[in-house]
Amino acid sequence: MLEMRDMSKIFRTEQVETHALRSFDLHVREGEFVTVTGPSGSGKTTFLNIAGLLDTFSTGAYVLDGQDVSDLDDYARSKLRNRKIGFIFQGFNLLPDLNLFDNLDVPLCYRRLKRAERHQRINDALARVGLASRMKHYPSQLSGGQQQRAAIARALAGHPRLLLADEPTGNLDSQMALEVMDLLQDINRAGSTIVMVTHDPNLASRAQRNVHIVDGRVAEDPADGTIRPRPVEGTA
Amino acid sequence: MQIRFVLAALRKHRLATFLIALQISLACAVLCNACFLIVQQVHAMRIDSGVDEARLGTVKLSGFDPKSANDFNARVVDALRHVDGVQSVSVISGVPFGEPGVRAGIGLDPDYKQFGGVIDFYLGDDHAAHDFGLHLISGRMPSPDDYMPVTKFVPSNAPVLITRTLAEHLWPGQNPLGKQFWGLDTQFRVIGVLDHLSVSQPGGSEAKDPDWSVFVPAIAGPNLAGKYLIRAQPNDMPRVMREAREAALKAAPDAVLDTDQSHSLSRLRHSYFESARVMVKLLAGVVVALLGTTALGIVGLASFWVTQRRKQIGTRRALGATRGDILRYFQIENFIIVSFGILLGMLLAYGLSLELMRSYEVPRLPFGYMPIGAAALWILGQLAVLVPALRASAITPVEAIRTL
Ligand SMILES: Nc1ncnc2c1ncn2[C@@H]1O[C@H](COP(=O)(O)OP(=O)(O)OP(=O)(O)O)[C@@H](O)[C@H]1O
Ligand SMILES: [Mg+2]
Repeated sequence: MLEMRDMSKIFRTEQVETHALRSFDLHVREGEFVTVTGPSGSGKTTFLNIAGLLDTFSTGAYVLDGQDVSDLDDYARSKLRNRKIGFIFQGFNLLPDLNLFDNLDVPLCYRRLKRAERHQRINDALARVGLASRMKHYPSQLSGGQQQRAAIARALAGHPRLLLADEPTGNLDSQMALEVMDLLQDINRAGSTIVMVTHDPNLASRAQRNVHIVDGRVAEDPADGTIRPRPVEGTA
Repeated sequence: MQIRFVLAALRKHRLATFLIALQISLACAVLCNACFLIVQQVHAMRIDSGVDEARLGTVKLSGFDPKSANDFNARVVDALRHVDGVQSVSVISGVPFGEPGVRAGIGLDPDYKQFGGVIDFYLGDDHAAHDFGLHLISGRMPSPDDYMPVTKFVPSNAPVLITRTLAEHLWPGQNPLGKQFWGLDTQFRVIGVLDHLSVSQPGGSEAKDPDWSVFVPAIAGPNLAGKYLIRAQPNDMPRVMREAREAALKAAPDAVLDTDQSHSLSRLRHSYFESARVMVKLLAGVVVALLGTTALGIVGLASFWVTQRRKQIGTRRALGATRGDILRYFQIENFIIVSFGILLGMLLAYGLSLELMRSYEVPRLPFGYMPIGAAALWILGQLAVLVPALRASAITPVEAIRTL
């Protein structure tokens, strides 16, 4: 589903060159639930942004869903993002001026889907996250947990091949975090591939596979696919 | 596709939307009316006087004894004829763009039961009709017997040349030749129809139409003296006029030369429309300033919204919006706001036009100006929003998402 080989990402500013990723190798198979952990600044977000075609990389190769995406232009990457990838952000990133229904509708419209299909998908997705009764609500009228569920519904409505989440529970209390995690696991069981960055070792340990990144490199990865629980150092 | 979302978002920003739309509507209203006034002024300035302006000049003298008018006229005309380059000299009562001459209300019957309007009478001696270069379209020019002495203001029972416009006004759809009208305690009979002959003060308040004039053949004398028409080659005019003024004063040393009126007709026309030209420039300045501030307002608000919506734009990009989608979003938004402004502006323009009609006797704004004003503002809006919209479309998803 997602294959990165010998990838590097260098940020250049006037004074410094930051090697956010170096010799980065990762292979995520279809249907996996992979969590990504690592110290702050280790390159987790950088990896996820590249995986989601939000950012480009400096060297290496990236094959997404069987397609080499290394040399795509901005337009092609936008279209691919729209069709294949669902994002869940730490800050929810719902559009504040639109109600929930319209928030879910926006990416579907970019895809030029027919009205009836859009409505079907939106209703299904909102029902799946338990927000069917709130579709006329605006983001500011919802709790943090509800907003994140709405954001998940927005990703689901696109029927993405790959769901990417960057600390989706980072802004939630532990109760709501667990709800969101349960929801993601449900979604994964239904067949979606998920890659989730998290700081929370408890959540990380619930995934089939936890990839640990240090200094822009994969430090630990039970790459054979067996579930190998591992004490996680760092913040809890 | 995006229109729905744009509308939904604008509903959440009603005040800013309303304020900018209001500014646009004001611009629209003023633009329509100002353009109309400009076009009207320009049109008025382009008036065809019906005379050979480029070849004509006039000299006006006053302060002579009316009893010696015949001798005075003879002396001055003779002196003017001897100015080098002068082709012909005639005695007249006034010229287009000169000071008001003989002007009066006329009736279609002796009792003025049927009022015909206020018109200008140009009196001229037996050279004048030819010198003016009047263009006859039907009937005949005055014959030698038609020239008669002026009793008070005009000759009694005079034959006249009438303009086509005035004839059409007095006797719509009828042949004006032989028709009569009354005025200045006498009656007139139409012998010929002129293409044009503008009143002396076109656009001035009395005559309803700038072409409501008649030419009356007359014999110079106590009541037709002091004003002379000079005909010369166009490129010779400035020199001829200079020498003519000197020659007239030399021939009549005790008379007073009217330095305001004694000029070529081209020059009289130029000064006559001086204020109209100033007004056109002023209006054009207002239009430009208004469009400029409106454009700046649009750029300002759009730039503000782009900055404010950085994160949103990044989110949209992450959700699959292409750069074109973002660009179009702002263009559609601008189109909607401007359209809303134009809608308001139409009502405002109409209201302003009614007010102008009431206060300044200008005609009602023709509806044709509305689509022109609307198109101008749509184009202006799209141009103004282009730079902020391009800036928005250049926002990369990563940098926008990072800013929480
Ligand atoms: N746009 C950028 N310009 C310069 N350096 C950057 C940029 N983005 C990230 N970096 C650097 O790249 C490195 C990796 O950053 P990244 O955001 O991927 O870390 P992270 O693992 O997500 O950290 P955290 O857990 O704090 O979110 C950091 O050193 C960071 O300073
Ligand atoms: Mg991060």
